[in-house]
Amino acid sequence: MALALSLMYADNRYEYLDRVRFSVAYLTTPVYWLADIPTRISFWIDDVFVSQRDLIEENTQLRQQLLFAQRELQLLAGLASENSRLRELQEASQAVQGRVMTAEIINVSNDPGSRRVLINRGAHDGVVDGQALLDAHGLMGQVVEVLPFTSWVLLITDSRHGTPVQVNRNGERTIARGSRGDAPGLELEFVPDTADIAVGDLLVSSGLGQRFPKDYPVAEVTSVVHDPGQPFALIKARPLAQMDRTRHVMLVVPDEEAIVGPPVFFDANTGVIE
Amino acid sequence: MTPKSNGIWVILLSFLVAYLLAIVPFPDWAMHYRPQWVMLVLIYWVMALPYRVGIGSAWMAGIFTDILEGSLLGIHAFTFAILAYITLSLHQRVRLFSSWQQSGIILALVGLVMTGTYWIKVMTGETAQGSMLFLLGALSSAFVWPWLFLLLRQLRRGFDVH
Repeated sequence: MALALSLMYADNRYEYLDRVRFSVAYLTTPVYWLADIPTRISFWIDDVFVSQRDLIEENTQLRQQLLFAQRELQLLAGLASENSRLRELQEASQAVQGRVMTAEIINVSNDPGSRRVLINRGAHDGVVDGQALLDAHGLMGQVVEVLPFTSWVLLITDSRHGTPVQVNRNGERTIARGSRGDAPGLELEFVPDTADIAVGDLLVSSGLGQRFPKDYPVAEVTSVVHDPGQPFALIKARPLAQMDRTRHVMLVVPDEEAIVGPPVFFDANTGVIE
Repeated sequence: MTPKSNGIWVILLSFLVAYLLAIVPFPDWAMHYRPQWVMLVLIYWVMALPYRVGIGSAWMAGIFTDILEGSLLGIHAFTFAILAYITLSLHQRVRLFSSWQQSGIILALVGLVMTGTYWIKVMTGETAQGSMLFLLGALSSAFVWPWLFLLLRQLRRGFDVH
């Protein structure tokens, strides 16, 4: 009893038990590996038992998508170089987007009160605390605990997680917090009633707090309620990342020099970042 | 009767399966209905073999749960030890109950332990304070108990674990 209590206290307050946790995780990894087998088998069956026609069809589709993506990439390259020239004019260092490492989600936390997922990359793959996790559609979360071969990722929909975001349309900055209800979603905190945020606005990561890379899509505003009885507007947003459907994700590998972003100027009259 | 080492692997295997069932991903809406497999298996072995599986084993099982879930070290060790203690003090009575009466006891026990775990988690900031819906897990645990009990008893008799 006493041992359990003191362990809890120590783990809560100090960091040296992290090493214990780290080494015992060598024992728990096989359990997760076992639990993941049914999923892997179903993926494997999907891969093996497909007809040639389906494959050809999928192949054409992928080719088309690749073509589109490459076209957009060309545009993006032009925009990026233009952007960096403009930034050079402002004498600001460019926010580098960083390389990515692919990973797979192998489990989700079974505690309904917290939203975390386990990914199949750990300290042996060079994962560090605080790395951002993305899927193909948007920002998912950040690494909170690194184990030898796996890591726990706190999703942005966890009610204890706040993501610094800005409205893509006008640069209005705010913090998106995971909603406290059962449905996974985001709430914008402490937004004044006069703020220019409308349903359908795209929220991108603002890069403030220097945790998440800048300008990744995060969520879409789904409802804006101005209640005269409340000091702030009640704004809900739906995360763009497919939190509970996707398996393939990406970890952003931070660059050493990318920590300092461009200076941000805030105009008090219009609330617009210039 | 071979002393001690007899059939330890049956007990360990049942715990391993319970851990697997405990972490197999569930869809979001079914999260709350997940039976507490590890607690159930623990209660069974404490009831069946109180001289072999006791508070110490419960403590170890709890620590393993903590590491598996990435929760604060000691939470489950603490609550599982309490669970084992209560079960130890009740086991002679509960053994005589019919399976539905046992289910009632399981409902109370698992509900109590889950609430305790939840309180500690909220106190340490591990989880956000939310609804009490997680107690549905105790309900589903009570529901699966009669079948789990039969299965484990078959196993225990079949492999002659005592």
